[in-house]
Order: sequence, then structure tokens, then C-alpha cells
Amino acid sequence: MPDTMMNLHSIAAAVPEIYLTAAICIVLLFEAFVGAKRPGATGTLTLLVLVVGAALTVAYADVAHRVVLFDGTYVADPLAYVLKLAGFLAVAVALLYSRAYLQNRDILKGEYYVLSLSALLGIFVLISANSLLTVYLGVELLALSVYAMVAFDRESGVAAEAAMKYFVLGAIASGMLLYGMSIVYGLTGTLNLDGIAVALSAPHNLGVILGLTFIVVAVAFKLGAVPFHMWLPDVYDGAPTSVTLFIGTAPKLGYFALALRLLAHGLAGVTVDWTAMLAPLAVLTLVVGNVVAIAQTNIKRMLAYSTISHVGFILLGFVAGTVNGYGAALYYTLVYVLMALGFFGVVILASRKGFEADKLEHYKGLYRRDPLLALAMAMLMFSTAGVPPFVGFWAKLRIIQALWETQHLWLVVTAVVMSVVGAFYYLRVVKLMYFDEAPESLPDTVRSFGVRFALGVNAAAVLVLGILPAPLLDLCARVIH
Amino acid sequence: MLVEILFYIFATLLVAGALGVITARNPVYSVLFLVFCFVNSAAIWLLVEAEFLAIVLVLVYVGAVMVLFLFVVMMLDINLAEIRQGFTRFAWLGWITALAVIAEITGVIWRNGLGGVDVGRGFVSEPANYSNTLELGRVLYTHYAYPFELAAVLLVVAIVAAIALTLRRRPGLKVQDISRQVAVRAEDRLRVVKVSAEKRS
Amino acid sequence: MITLADMLTLSGILFALAVAGIFLNRKNVILLLMCVELLLLAANFNFIAFSRMLGDLTGQVFVFFVLTVAAAESAIGLAILVVLFRERRSINVEDLNTLKG
Repeated sequence: MPDTMMNLHSIAAAVPEIYLTAAICIVLLFEAFVGAKRPGATGTLTLLVLVVGAALTVAYADVAHRVVLFDGTYVADPLAYVLKLAGFLAVAVALLYSRAYLQNRDILKGEYYVLSLSALLGIFVLISANSLLTVYLGVELLALSVYAMVAFDRESGVAAEAAMKYFVLGAIASGMLLYGMSIVYGLTGTLNLDGIAVALSAPHNLGVILGLTFIVVAVAFKLGAVPFHMWLPDVYDGAPTSVTLFIGTAPKLGYFALALRLLAHGLAGVTVDWTAMLAPLAVLTLVVGNVVAIAQTNIKRMLAYSTISHVGFILLGFVAGTVNGYGAALYYTLVYVLMALGFFGVVILASRKGFEADKLEHYKGLYRRDPLLALAMAMLMFSTAGVPPFVGFWAKLRIIQALWETQHLWLVVTAVVMSVVGAFYYLRVVKLMYFDEAPESLPDTVRSFGVRFALGVNAAAVLVLGILPAPLLDLCARVIH
Repeated sequence: MLVEILFYIFATLLVAGALGVITARNPVYSVLFLVFCFVNSAAIWLLVEAEFLAIVLVLVYVGAVMVLFLFVVMMLDINLAEIRQGFTRFAWLGWITALAVIAEITGVIWRNGLGGVDVGRGFVSEPANYSNTLELGRVLYTHYAYPFELAAVLLVVAIVAAIALTLRRRPGLKVQDISRQVAVRAEDRLRVVKVSAEKRS
Repeated sequence: MITLADMLTLSGILFALAVAGIFLNRKNVILLLMCVELLLLAANFNFIAFSRMLGDLTGQVFVFFVLTVAAAESAIGLAILVVLFRERRSINVEDLNTLKG
């Protein structure tokens, strides 16, 4: 059978996944034989694995055009390449930031790293999915790893509660996804996303809309769109901060890819229907996320609601339903991941052994205690609020442009108004840090050089990409065509 | 005709079992009702000639997963009196949702034929020498090699996660280490001391 | 002869009962997990029905993977449940109120 024959050359584009699978096994064995005796060694190995992985991705997965492998279940294209590199980077930075935190809370175990790598593999599977089957497996691989990570601190009842809520709601959402997929499969006769796109471009069966409804609900849940957002603040708040940092960043890349491959590619034939479903969700998400965030006193919950509002923006990019809209959503996702790495990183660095810096009041007078950390946080908050010249401004601008081009005037107005509302609570954090008196007896922030340097680079990147937005914008426009 | 009658019998039992799962007050009964559901589903899958999946459903699902459920339910020692208090105030919402979903889905299927499919069509029987398992195996390891590998990773993740979350190393437990017992040598335990005989006084 | 409509209706009823169960049993987490199993079973019925109608094995392959994933999912779900029970001595949904969405 020539169609199933493969040689090493033809599967070179799948090197990131193959490598990562092997690396998971190696890290697991390393932990069993070496890591148990030397705590921290597994973490170092994992960082090495991620760096090597990124290098291999550059060497092999940088495809010039679309490559479909494994009988149509796998696709490698420039978009997948960019997202995978971003995935390696985001996970590496997240693990780097959280190392001291894990050590202080006695959860520095090899399994944590194995689960982060398997979550990353799930993200990659989503990024390269070209069949409903691989989409489903990617969603589950990512979700199962993340559920376990949330519950990883076994001494914390709050974390277990958060994990249980996440698990139950997540399992219901994947049930919905599956039910929707079964209907789409039945009516198009194929699982392959290219095949589905072809079947739906011809005059097609209206029953697909029933399946589509379930799929849209599941995607909205995974992204955390209102009214399917209830899990998100609880999980962000209840999980150990290192896990919050993890789930707030890299998985967003995967869920962006989920929406793009499933809705914008596979179900492109019913774009009119799913944009009509997503539009009210996006508006609700923007409004609820921004308004509820104002009332929060816990910074992790505030950032969770801020995440919800950013999801609203990303969804607006999809609502535009054009190539420019998807490009804007991609740019927004990448920028958001960069900023989320930064601000959750600050929360981690402000926490010490036995002290969680999770209340807003813990940031009062941060400027006097640790000016560098306060400066980084201020830059990140300005960027998240969308203040020029930081990169967050361009991200919001691109989304609004895409909506403007497609005549969604009401959505443009909502987006602008909600950006202004959102700016209030981001700038409140800056005010707390710079103008309020520090309460007594707050522990010092983390002073280790390497981590602080990484955070500095992270914050600087937000400014540099804001001043020179062209390269990343061009890249996003180029990989989505 | 016989197949049809059998289908309706099993389908009725399946729906009754599903009702039992969601209404039983004792979680142990719920698990057993769920086992009942799976067995009936397997029978229906046999009737529509999906033999391999029917067997997998009984072996893997009833044999392993449901036993795990039962094990956890019994181990957790749940306070039954509390659970018996009855349904929540959302009960009516649940029943209304169920009726609405049933009405919607059956409406779409029967009235609109799922938007134009010939839903009244029966399934064509496979020829007598057709092996469902063989055909599945043929595609599973060739066309679906990539998902197959992913499923393997998923199972590894489940093992790692379940162990990391629930394994407790309790210090001070008295356990036998067979390999250490076997490896013991006489000279580790026994010291032959030469004691010079004392003179009798 | 069993028709496609029969199978799809049965799956629809199962799906609806699972959804109803999720609303009814907000008291006990383990019952929620069982309702999710019913939900997956309903989807599996759809896949098998369509697979037989189309004469295409792909749907059955999907069910095979769903069964695998569901087994892994229940293992992790029950592990989290055990961790939760050790901390709280309760799996009552109403006791899970430390975090308010």
C-alpha cells in the first residue's frame, strides 16, 4: 500500500510531536532513577528538553507550505510552526518562573514536569490537528494533564476543589464536543477537516447546524467565554500559582488552534452560522469579564476575569470571519500569552515560602520594596490595558480594524468601551504599587538573578514589540492566508 | 423482525437503566444501573453488527472502568443519609431540560429527517464472512497510527497523574522487602567471636 | 430492521437523560461523573449508527478511541475525587463552596 508507506523524510515535519513523546518517556525514567535523589534535576532536564525541542522544530518543522501526514490526520503548515515555537517558549518560561515556587511548597516533583510536557504535546496535537479524531485527542490530552496539575498540591483542599470543578465541567464540555462531532461526521461522512470543508462548501445538510451548536458550546467552554466561564476564576484562584501561570499561557495557543482548525477551516462552509452564535458570546464575554474584574480583591481572580475579557477580544477576531480577523486573533493570542507570562510571573516572584501574594493589597507600595518588579508589572499592566506604545495596543487595534472592515460597527463600539472600562482596573494595580503605602511585614520578593532577568526581558519585549510591531504583525498575516 | 423486537427490548431496558442512574439515591445502585446500561448498549451494538466495540464495551468498560467506580464509591464511605435528602431545587429544571432536548433532537430527526437524510433506512447486513474486528484492526494500525500513538500517551498520562495524585508514602510502615531479605548474607548478621575460655576459679 | 432514526432517537434520549442527571444530581460529584459516562455513551451510539449507515469504519474507530479516552478520564477524575475526599471528608457539591465562580 503506497499511501501508508512512510519514510523518515516524509514525517520530518512531525518531529516536534515525535520528539516530545520520546522526551516525556525520558523525563519520566530520569525522574524514577535520578530525580528522586536530586530534587530539581528533573526541572533542569525539562528546560533542556524544551530548548532542544525548539531547536529541532526550527530545523525540521519549518515547512514552506502545507504538509498533510498520517493519512490526513496531521497537518504541518507555517501557522503550526509559529504556534509550536511559541508553545515551547511559553512552557519553558513558565517552568523557569515557577521553580522556586514549587520548591517552597514541596511540590517540586518530576511528575509535575512530565504533566507539563504532556500538556504541551496536547497543545501541539491541537495545533496540527486535521481530523475530528485528532482534535478530540488533543483536547483530552491537554485537559487531562491540566486537571492533574491543578490538583497537584495534595495538601491544598482549595486546589482539589478547583480541580474537581474544572474536571466535571470540562468532561461535560468534551461530551458536548463529541456529540457535535458525531453529528457532523454523520452528515458529512468524514472525520477529515479538509473533507468536511469540501462537503460543507457544496449545498449541504442543515442538520449540521445542530452539531455545530454543540461544537460552539464546547469551544466557548474551553476558551472560557461567558456564559461558560464559571470554571475559569475558580481554577485560576484555587490552583497553585505556578499552575495558574501554566494554564493561563500555553494552552491558549492550543485553544486558539482548536477554534481556527475546527471552526474557521473545517466548518468554513457554515461560517455565517457560527459567527452569529459567537458574536453574542463575545460581547457578553467582554462585558462580564471587564465589569466583574473591577470588583475583585484577589489578584489571581482579577487576572482570571481579565483573561475572560481577552478571550472576548480573541473571539471578536473570529466573529469578523475573515482572514484579517483570524490574523488579528492570532496576533492577539500570541501577545496575550506574552503578557500573561509576565504578570503571572510577577505574582509568583512576589510570593515566598508560606506566603501567597494573591491579594491586591499585597502589591501596595511594591515600588518601594522592589522597584524593578514594580516597573515590570507596570509595563505589563499598561500593555494589557492597551495603552500605546505597548504591544497590547496593537493587538486591540488589529481586532477593531478587522471588525471595522466587516461592518460590525456595534462590536467596534463595544470593544472600545470595554477597553476603557478594562483600563481602570489595570491602572489601579499600578496606582497601588506606586502611590500607596506598603503595609508592614510583607516578605521580600524573590531575588535570584536568572528569573528576574527573564522577567525583565519579558517586560521589555512587551515594549519593544509595541514600538516595532511590524515584524510580528507581518508574520501573523503571512501564516494565515 | 426478531432483530427489531430485540432492539426495542434492549432500548427500553437501556433507557430504564439510564433513568435509574440519575434517580437512584444510593451511588452504589447508580453504578450498578450504569453497568446495566452498558451491557444493554453492548447488546444493541451487537445487533447493529459492531461486534468488536460491543465486546470492548463489556470487557473494558464494565470490567475495568465501572469496577473502578464501584471501588471508589465504596471506599469513600459517603454519608448516605445526607445524599438521601432528595433532589436539589434545580430538579424541575433538569426534567424540563431533558424533555426539551428530547423534543428538539427527535423533532430534528423525525420531522426534518436530520435536514434531509433518509433516516428510515435500515442498516445493510454485512456478508457472512465479514469480520468486524479484522477490518478495524486493518485500519487502526495503518490509517490511524497517529491517533493510536496519541491514545497510548494519553494512557501514560492517566497512569502518571493517578499515581502522582493518590500515592502516599507513609513513613514508619512495617513492610517486607523480599529482595533485601534474600540478599542477606550470614556475615552481615552474624559475627563469630572468639572468646578465650576463662579459667575456672 | 433497525433504522438510523431508531438509533439516533435512542442516542438523543440518552443524551437528554445525561443532561437531566447533571441538573438533578448537583449533590454528589460521583453521580456527575456517571452522567458524563452516559453522555459519552450517547455520542458513541451516534458514531456507530452513522458508521453503519455510511458503510464507513471511521466512526467505529472513533468510538474505539472514545472508550480509551473515557477510561483515562475516569481514572484521573476518580483520583482527583479521592484527593478531594481526603481533604474535605465530603464529595457533596454543596460543600464545594470555598471558591465562588
